[in-house]
Amino acid sequence: MRSVAVGAALLCCAAAAGAGGPSVAALGRELFFDASLSASGRLACATCHDPHHAYGPPDGRAVQPGGAALRTMGLRAVPALRYTLRHTPVWSKQYQASAVERVTETDSVPVGGFDWDGRFNSLHDQAASPLLSPLEMGNASIEAVVSTLRRAPYAGQFRELFGARIFADAPAAFGAALQALERFELDDASFHPYSSRYDAFLDGKAMLSAAEVRGLGLFNDPLKGNCSACHTSTPGADGSHPLFTDFGFAALGVPRNGEIPANKDPEYFDMGLCGPLRTDLAARRHWCGLFKTPTLRNAATRRVFFHNGRVHTLRDAVRFYAERDRQPERYDDLPVALRGNVDHIDVPLNRRPGDAPTLSAADIDDLVAFIATLSDADVEQ
Amino acid sequence: MLMSGCVALAGCTTGSRNAVPAPPPLRHVFIIMLENQDYKDTFGSSTQDPYLMNTLRPMGAQLTQYFATGHQSLDNYIALISGQPSSLQTQGDCERYKDFQMSGLTADGLAIGDGCVYPASVKTLANQLESAGYSWKGYMEDMGNDPSRESESCGHPALGDLDRTQNPQAPSAAVPMGDQYAARHDPFVYFHAIIDTPRCATQVVRLEQLSTDLAQSASTPNLAFITPNLCHDGHDGDGSGAPGRGCVNGEPGGLRSADEFLKTWVPRILASPAYQRDGLLIITFDESNAASVTTGKDSVSGMKMTRAVFAGAACCNQQNGPNVTRPAIIDFPVDEQEFYRLELTGIGGDRIGAVLLSPFIKSGTVSEVPYNHYALLRSVEDLFGLGHLGYAAQPGLAPFGPDVYTRH
Repeated sequence: MRSVAVGAALLCCAAAAGAGGPSVAALGRELFFDASLSASGRLACATCHDPHHAYGPPDGRAVQPGGAALRTMGLRAVPALRYTLRHTPVWSKQYQASAVERVTETDSVPVGGFDWDGRFNSLHDQAASPLLSPLEMGNASIEAVVSTLRRAPYAGQFRELFGARIFADAPAAFGAALQALERFELDDASFHPYSSRYDAFLDGKAMLSAAEVRGLGLFNDPLKGNCSACHTSTPGADGSHPLFTDFGFAALGVPRNGEIPANKDPEYFDMGLCGPLRTDLAARRHWCGLFKTPTLRNAATRRVFFHNGRVHTLRDAVRFYAERDRQPERYDDLPVALRGNVDHIDVPLNRRPGDAPTLSAADIDDLVAFIATLSDADVEQ
Repeated sequence: MLMSGCVALAGCTTGSRNAVPAPPPLRHVFIIMLENQDYKDTFGSSTQDPYLMNTLRPMGAQLTQYFATGHQSLDNYIALISGQPSSLQTQGDCERYKDFQMSGLTADGLAIGDGCVYPASVKTLANQLESAGYSWKGYMEDMGNDPSRESESCGHPALGDLDRTQNPQAPSAAVPMGDQYAARHDPFVYFHAIIDTPRCATQVVRLEQLSTDLAQSASTPNLAFITPNLCHDGHDGDGSGAPGRGCVNGEPGGLRSADEFLKTWVPRILASPAYQRDGLLIITFDESNAASVTTGKDSVSGMKMTRAVFAGAACCNQQNGPNVTRPAIIDFPVDEQEFYRLELTGIGGDRIGAVLLSPFIKSGTVSEVPYNHYALLRSVEDLFGLGHLGYAAQPGLAPFGPDVYTRH
């Protein structure tokens, strides 16, 4: 019987460091901030996942430059890494034994995995992708990465943690680097500070303004914003503060973004779960256009929204939900035959032509005010 | 017999009992609730449950005409511990965990209204047992694996919230084993008579506790209600092991995983002092999954329609109750061109079957007497000399008799 459990494999090397020695997570920090690990020598993980921006993009570019000369542009907006990494489940789609329940449980959507399309089930798998992608850090091979690691100032820590001959085995050294990155991302407190005003509000240490309270109400109201249906907003059963995502997938019908160079090709469509970056679900055409729900923590500090970065302000992002079907670019980031996959069921995306939007301009202001309370104290505005 | 348990309980009656032989002196009842399998599969065509079919079934009694009482899930569990029939919300599995708004009671003690969590005046088998001095526990697999999802005891959503346990949670770094607890398979948390008391936290517990409790007869509750997780109860996965058709943690699910669960836990129960002295183990399912699913064009709207029809077969003169009608049609929108239609033809949950093991049951027993979840409730109530709740008091409803207790 095969079963999936996360975490067991991650323990193998943590014990290798003796008390007082370097930790795998500390080594991972070195790697995360090391621009020499890119072909250009100018791109670290932290360049795109900027800790001053909740480990999200540092600017408003829809996609970030990469490659050996930093002249190739990525395909998707950079997701923020704060809060979600420890809690992201492996990718799954519930398969009910009952055919009727498979039909009627319309709330059962694909969930989890890392990246916008959930194609990585662990952070160590995910970390290999940017290191080797020609659109990102652009290393030519595993051996190229390991060659850099061998010369890095922290090479001694590497040997201490993983063995004196670790660099003699390039795949093993590369795997160790991925593990170190994973441990840093999972363990470092900077990934989950819970320092927002909303966190303080939940702890009874801050008040929300009238507009923010109204916004919270709209956020949770299943007939108005209905945001909390996917962006969970209530504390957990153990009092833990909410993550503002349920890790589920949705097809929102965000318009095509001409800022992405790849989109100049009219035949190119980034369809999330069904590809082309993700390859194992290409046949599941009804999942084309579905992307993973991001956390809304620190959303107010971002300048790029949705998987394709089409929207650049939080207000416009909220307005999109309220007014989507009044826009002329009706789901034009999907092939015509697949536009039926776009969500028309869930409020506020269930409006029909001629219907008034569920959210007024004042409502949108209030929602923006509330979402701004989710910004951590240390994040640059 | 202890009859005092009925005195203060709404919806409880002692006046409708038939003249049936006194049941055997069973004092420890174990119920394992599996999910969504049809009798013809479980006891017929499936090859995924050899332990249930070839080991357990010959050891005790097979009830060939045992029927579920509703579709799609939760209403069966609620019927089984309270005698309350389906409501519009419970037959839809209560995606939002909200109070049952009760406008009154029928003459036979059935709550009139709609919603999920019954008011404190509506009692359950657990309340009856407590009132009569007996003990009970619900053992819920995976409950609290993710403590932010639900508490590790008496786990349920906050009132008014979406039920986040409707969908299983796959493993993550924070929750390496995942969390496939489903509140809708834990009937105790749908009654204020339970959740509003401190006893819910002590009596509705994680499955692991069962191992400890089985060690001695004194620590084994008189009623042990056991709910596997969404994989091990057969709800998820088809058992084939095929990619995309398993549980969210990669196990095959279906009857195969249910059978594995039984293989793990039934020997522990059967070896316990409580079972060996005066135990009864009941293995059954909440409902059948036998339905016709067809796709076509709706003649009215012209939209594409996927139509799922449950026959809703019932036994034992099962009644609709005050809150639902049959046939019923429930539509689920998909998009502008398509919708799903669920049709519930009859009030029952179709034929599921059951296997009962006990020192008071001869091996190889087969009963073709019709029973359902209300009859099971009535049977347990009779074992402990309790009154009958809700439809367990239905005139003419037969509890388990000599056809089942063949060594008495």
